[in-house]
This record gives sequence, C-alpha cells and structure tokens, in this order.
Amino acid sequence: MLQRFLDPAVLAGISGLDLVAKTVVDGFISGLHRSPDFGFSQEFAEYRMYNPGDDLRHVDWNVFARSEKMFLKRYRGETNCQVSVLLDASRSMKYGSRGLEKMEYARFLAASICYLAHLQRDAAGLIVFDNEVRHFVPPSSRQGQIMRLLHGIDRAETGAETVLEKPFAHLVDYLRRRGLVVAISDFWEEPEAVIRTVAPLRSRGNELILFHVLDPQEIQPKLRGPVLLEDLESGVKMEVSPDYATHEYKGKMSAHLEDMKSRAAGANIDYFLVDTSRPLDEALRQYLAIRAGRL
Amino acid sequence: MGFFSPWFLGGVLAVGLPIWLHLLKRHKTDPQPFPSLMFFEHREQSSVQHRRLDYILLFILRTLMLVLLALLFANPFINRLTPKGAGQKLVVVAVDRSFSMRTKEGTSSRLDLAKSEALNVLSKVPPGQKGQVVALADTLQAMTQQTADPGELRGAVQAIRESDARASFGELARYLRTLSESTKTPIEVHLISDLQKSGMPPGFTDLRLDQDTDIVFHPVGKVQTNWTVETVIAPQHVYDPKRVRISATVTGFSAPAATRTVTLLMNGKTVGTKSVNVPENGRGSAEFTGLDAASYGFNRCEIRIDSADGLPADDSYAFSIERTDPKKVLFVDDGQRPKAQQYFRAALNATEDAAFQLEALRPDVAATADLSKYAVVVLNDLSSLPNGLEPSLQRYVMAGGSLFESIGPGSVALASGRAPVLDEAIEGTRYASREGERFFPVSDLDTGHDALKSVERFDGVKFYLAANVSATKSRVLARLSNGTPLVLERKVGEGKVLAFTSTFDGANNDMPLHYAWVPFVQKSVAYLGGGGSTEQPANLSVGEYVELRTGNEKGAQAEVQDPEGQRVLSLEESAQARNFELTREGFYEVRTAGGKRSLIAAHANRKESDLAVIPQESLDLWKATGSSGPPDGSGQGTGGEGKTTPWSLSPFILLLLLGVALAESVIADRYLRPHAQPQETKAA
Repeated sequence: MLQRFLDPAVLAGISGLDLVAKTVVDGFISGLHRSPDFGFSQEFAEYRMYNPGDDLRHVDWNVFARSEKMFLKRYRGETNCQVSVLLDASRSMKYGSRGLEKMEYARFLAASICYLAHLQRDAAGLIVFDNEVRHFVPPSSRQGQIMRLLHGIDRAETGAETVLEKPFAHLVDYLRRRGLVVAISDFWEEPEAVIRTVAPLRSRGNELILFHVLDPQEIQPKLRGPVLLEDLESGVKMEVSPDYATHEYKGKMSAHLEDMKSRAAGANIDYFLVDTSRPLDEALRQYLAIRAGRL
Repeated sequence: MGFFSPWFLGGVLAVGLPIWLHLLKRHKTDPQPFPSLMFFEHREQSSVQHRRLDYILLFILRTLMLVLLALLFANPFINRLTPKGAGQKLVVVAVDRSFSMRTKEGTSSRLDLAKSEALNVLSKVPPGQKGQVVALADTLQAMTQQTADPGELRGAVQAIRESDARASFGELARYLRTLSESTKTPIEVHLISDLQKSGMPPGFTDLRLDQDTDIVFHPVGKVQTNWTVETVIAPQHVYDPKRVRISATVTGFSAPAATRTVTLLMNGKTVGTKSVNVPENGRGSAEFTGLDAASYGFNRCEIRIDSADGLPADDSYAFSIERTDPKKVLFVDDGQRPKAQQYFRAALNATEDAAFQLEALRPDVAATADLSKYAVVVLNDLSSLPNGLEPSLQRYVMAGGSLFESIGPGSVALASGRAPVLDEAIEGTRYASREGERFFPVSDLDTGHDALKSVERFDGVKFYLAANVSATKSRVLARLSNGTPLVLERKVGEGKVLAFTSTFDGANNDMPLHYAWVPFVQKSVAYLGGGGSTEQPANLSVGEYVELRTGNEKGAQAEVQDPEGQRVLSLEESAQARNFELTREGFYEVRTAGGKRSLIAAHANRKESDLAVIPQESLDLWKATGSSGPPDGSGQGTGGEGKTTPWSLSPFILLLLLGVALAESVIADRYLRPHAQPQETKAA
C-alpha cells in the first residue's frame, strides 16, 4: 500500500509539489520503525538512573528535590544539521521514457528530502544548476523555509547542458557551514570528472550524497529497430541499431556506473543510482541512513 | 509466348505498395531524443547501412512476389511442339470378343476373322512403333503393355478367347480417354468388331475421344438372320409341380416370319416340345405347364430352339428351379376371431404356387405340439395362454423360430399383461370411434424393411383400435398417427418376433379389404420363414454378380463351382469375397457364407443376339470426336505434320512464387523481429 503512494507514476498525478513531498515522506515514515538513537533535544524520551560519570547538566534536579534520587532526562535525537540539495536542471534531465521525466522525478526526490529535513528541524537549502547556478535558497530552519524550498524546486526548469565544474566551483562559496550535501543529477560526464568536481565539497567536511538519476531506457535501451537518436544537450544526431544498444551500449553503461560507484567510494562519497521506474523510498532510505550517521 | 488472361497483368500496379513502404515511408523517420550519445559511436551507422541493404533485399523480394502473383493470374504460356508433331504415335488394336463374335461367317467365326484382321493391322505397324492389344467385351482387357515388340503383339492377338459378355463401346472410349491422358501421345485405334448397334452406350457423349485419338473401324461379318430364346419366366421354387407354368419368348432379329420348335429340357431330358410362330422381326412365346419330371432339389433346365442360324449359342436359355415342399405355418387360434384365419390363409395362398402351407391349432393343442417343424407360428390375438404354450414358444424362438403375433383387445386380457415372447407391456387399447370417420392412419413406416416393402404405406387403411404396446426392447417398424406402435420387431435368441398391434379379422381395421393386406401377410411370413425378396434370383445374365455374404458371416467360407465343376474362388476370396461375377454361360453351384446352397443359371445377355450394326453416320460422328480433321471414313489416321500447343507456365511461376514467399518470410523474420532481451539477474 505504501509502495503505491511512493510510486513515481502515481506521484506524477499529484499537482502540488508540497503535497507530493508530504505524501512521500509521511507514507515513508509511517512505514519505518522509530529511530533507536537518542539525543539531546526538546522532545523528551525517558528517564534513566544516574551513573557516575554522567554529565550533571542532564540531571533532572526537580526530581532529585522531590525524591532525593538522581535521574537523567533523555530526549529524542535532534541536531542542527545543514542539508543542501543540489538539483541538476540540465537539458538531459528532460528525458523520460515512461511518461515521467527525470527532472520531475528529481523534483519529487528533492522535495521529499527537503520536507524530511524540515520535519527533523534541519536547516535545509537548495541550489538549482545546469552550467550555471540558476537558483539558490540559503539553508535555514526558519518558519516558511520549506515553502521557499518547494517553490524553488517547482520553478526549476531544464535549461542548458550539464557542466559540473562551473556551478560546483561556486557551490563551495555558498556552502560555508559544514553539513549534508545532496546532489541529484544524471551525471552525464566522465566519472573521473564528476568525482573530481564534487570531491572539494567533501573535503570541506560535508557529507556528500550523489543521487544518480537515470531513466531505465538510459540504463538499458530497448529499440525495436534502427532509430535516429538526437542528443538532448548537444543536438547531435546518430543512427543506432538495436544490436548495438543491446550489447555494446549496455556494456559501456555498466562500466560507467561501476566506475562512478567505485570512484565515489574511493572519495568517501555516498553514491546511489536511482532508477526512475523505482519508488522513491529507496533513495529516501539511503538519505536517512547517511543522515543518521551524522548524529 | 502469350497470356491466357492478360488483363490480370494490371495487378503489377500493386508493386507500388512495397515501393511506398520501403522507399517513401522509411525516410519519414523522426529522430528520437536521447539524454546523451556519450556511449554511442559513429561506426554504428554501418550497421544501419547493412540493415538498409536488408531492407532493399526485402523490397526486391516483395516486389517480385507481387509481379509473380500478377503473372500467375495472367497465366502465361509458350507454344510447344506436341508429341504428335514429333511423329510419335501409339497403335491400339482392339479386338471384340463379345458373345456375338461367336457368329459363324462361312466356316470361321467372327472372332477368327477379327484376329486375322488384327494380325493384318499389326503387320503394317512400322518397326519401332509402340502398340497395344486390348480385348473388348463388357470390360476391356489389356492383353499387352505398350510395346514395340511385334511378336508380343501378335501373340496377344492369338491369345484372345471368345467371351459370353456383351460388348461395350463406351468402355472402350473411356479406356482410350484415360490412355490419352496418361501417355500424352497421339493414339491410333483399330477397332476390329462386328460393330453391333447394341454395344453403343445410352449417351453418345460416352463415346467421345480425346483430340489426338484417331479411331479406325474394321467391320467384321455382315448382318445375319438370328433367332434366339430371349426370356424364360419360371419360378425359382416349385412346391406343386402340377401347378408350375414356364413360358419362353422366342425372338427373331432381322428374320422373316417362321415357325420354330421350342424344347424344354430338364436335367438333360426332353420334357416337352412346342411349336411357336415367330412373326417377322417379332416375338413368339411358348408355355409349358406342369413339371412332373422335376425331382426334389435343384434341377438344371433349358429352353432350346431349332434356329439353324449363324449364332447357335443363343438358341438355348439355361435356368434352374428348386423343387421343395412348402413350409408350414402354424396358426394358433382360440376361435374368438374366426375370420382372421380365413383372411390370413387367403392372403397366404394368393399366389398359384404358394410357398407356405397354413395349419391351424387351438392353443391348448399347440402347447404340446412340436413347434420346430413350423417355419412360422402365428398367434391370433389370444386372450389366454394355456400352460406350457409360452415356454414352448420361448424355446422355439430362442432356437431360431419365428413368431408372428396379433395383439388386439383379446391380448389385453392376458393375465401377464405382456405380449408373449415379445415381452413388452400391453397398456390397454387406443380406440377411435367409427362415427364421424374417426380413425388412425399409418403415419410412420419403415419402407425399407422386408416385411413392409410392398404395402404401399398402408394407403387408405383405417385402424379403429390398436393395442398400446410399449416398445422398450423392440424396434417399431410402423406407427399410427396417434403414435401407437403398429408393427414391432424384436430379435429373441436366434429367432425373431413380429408383432401387429391390431387384429387380422377386420373388426378393428379394414385392412383385409385393401391392397396392402396380401403383400403384408406374404412378405411378413416370407421374411419370418425365409425366402421371398431376401433370396437372390437364380437366373442371371453373364456379367451380373452373385452375393456370397451379407457381412455378418465373418470368416465363413463361400464356395462357387463353375459350369465345368471347377472351384472358382481362391482361399482368400472364399473367406472374404462379398460377391462373384458370372463370366460365362452355364450353371454355377453356389454355397454362400451363410450356408445357403443355390444353383445359379447364367446366360448371355440377349442384346448380343441382335446383330444389327451401327449406322455409318454414327461411326463417322464417333470418329470425328477424336480427330480434328473432317471425318472421311477411310480408316487412315491423321498425319504426323508439326503441331504446337500452348503450354502453361503457371506451375513454374507458382513454384517460384512459393520460393520467393519463403525467402521473404525468412529475411523478414530475421531482420524485422524485435530482438529478445537477454535475461538479467538483478539484486533485489
């Protein structure tokens, strides 16, 4: 049942992006067990007997005054994490073979992550880019921030071709405070160039997650006959045979993805391949796992 | 070269379809967007070029298919030199050996003359020319294969023997048509025959010959005066020799008025002699009454005339008769319906020489009588059965006896409530009032049944009352209009029971007043007691068939001895043959697979006795059906001048079309079928 709400094809039928994010996140969270991690925040969790060595700041002195016993107050985990979502709006993101464009899927994913961050009172920000930074919402946990984020995501339209070096050079300036950086793109570049471009973000103490959004047709094209393909970004046309798409392209694509994965792992970057035919919960689960590691 | 149907060439316009599909439609392909061509290489265009070549091959094949299809319908042909043009020819010598060829012409028979003529014809056949000798009667017998060996052909002519069958020129024409189709060469036929008019088929079209068949007539003999015994009417079975009547018809063909002496011989002894005045080209008859000389069993009889003509073989007519005692029919009558016995007996004795003899007994006497000596037992609507009668009847029928029972109002009163032996419940009677002409006619009738063959559907017979007998075990042969079964039959053990659900005395129906009464009684009794129409006739013409088994006697042996007393059937034939053809005159002793013995007399078909010949006009017409030239009657075949005939190329085009279609299917399947995606295992 939950899968149904997270199915991209279903989400595409929902008009408002905020509603999409709420539907995804609420449906996703209600299917999760509550986190076993505890922290020190405003949400009370339980009492625990004082043990020598515990920080006296967390002792509930009111209880001590009434019972002369020392208890520690425990709260649900909460941090002041800064989450920055980098959304690729290049022309190649306009592609979609199943009625759902990659851009649309990326919007859903970005909105869901922003909404999830908002629920966790993280300071969330948004950067929309293609070969330039097109839109920037500074990270904040203020009231109304979620609407600003969603508005920004909604306004993101595909524009020029993907050139990661140029926008990511500016991104370093925007991300002054260390936090969690989530990059959502189809990364149509050589893996080496991609990792070389995004690695500086990681070196600033940020946790970096790469969501590699690809259409199933990109991963494994299924052609009924020889077709003339046109590159969405460069406009180059080329006739392609099904034999090539079935065998050689598939091999090259697999090598490309494997290269991306290994290079990301080498740079201590979390990498996750997102197939637009699959529900969003897998990507969200990946995000939460990495988010939990930040605590 | 030409076309039988050139207008179908318009179908070539359909070639535009593959042109449109391959050349026009293909270039309208729109480019499909793709995110990045990073992993595609330019060298892949060569693959597309290769595919274009495949498309071109497909295009060529499809275009060729349409062109061939149009050509196929247009049916092209070329003119070829026929075998006739090449000088090849088959000479067929047909020698008539029918019954009439026994006619004497001076000191020789017509068959001898015909054989001499055949040898004469064969001597004129050029060396190396293929020939065939056939013997003509009611069927055609090929004496040789097609051969160029003159010795073999002459030997075959010498081997021809006279036959008792009649000539059939229609059979000869049919054979020649078949031969012409199979050999594809011109045929020159030499028919050596007395050319009897009676040998012509009923329709002239049966004589037609193929275009390349030339027939040459070699008449043998002249029209002669001939007297013959045309028919003999004699009973097959004789029960009372004094009442037997035998009549013979003597016919004169092309003969003046004359007086002929007719002699009846029985088993080689002269029984009687009569003189018959035969008018010019007419018939006279002689009648013999009484056959005291007939002994019990089969008698070989013959009617003979003194004709002194050229065909003495048709002066005698063989026939056989069997003398036997009439079979006994027991009429069990309790006296309640006295007229029934009277009507029944009258019907049974309606013929002069009755095959059955009626004997009446009261039920109590019949209960103790030996029923096995009766062919049929008739129960006349008995209202009560004395002790022992029904078990006795049951045993009698089980052992193969036959029971004919009338079930009327009297039988309704039977204590058992069931029809004796038939074992069907009697559920009262169905009564129609005589007032207002209310009656039940017969509605359903099995007219193919031996007992009901000549009853004319019981036309006009009114049934006022009938017993309502259930038909759970029996077969209903006739039914009244209200659905009541009228005649039922059931096989019990080896015997059979026939039930009539009304009475024989006319009280409950008016059947004895109608024509149907006599045949109904006679056929029913004959069916139950054996004989009658179920028996095959004993006097047949040569060429007719004798039934040896009905199909029920599996494995039983049949036996036939020809007039010389030789066994005719092989072991296999005697175990399996269903019938046997009479091939010559004389007496055949036959024992069927069912064990029934009979003496069959075979005589030549008397149409052979009419020696009138076919008019020359008819012969010319016959000859004209096979020759393209005007009939000249000169007896010379057409020459060997060059001749061409259109030769259709359709079979070859059809083969080519099939090959092209096959190639198109293979190539289309190979290059246009969507490629199957390899199975992939993905981590869950």
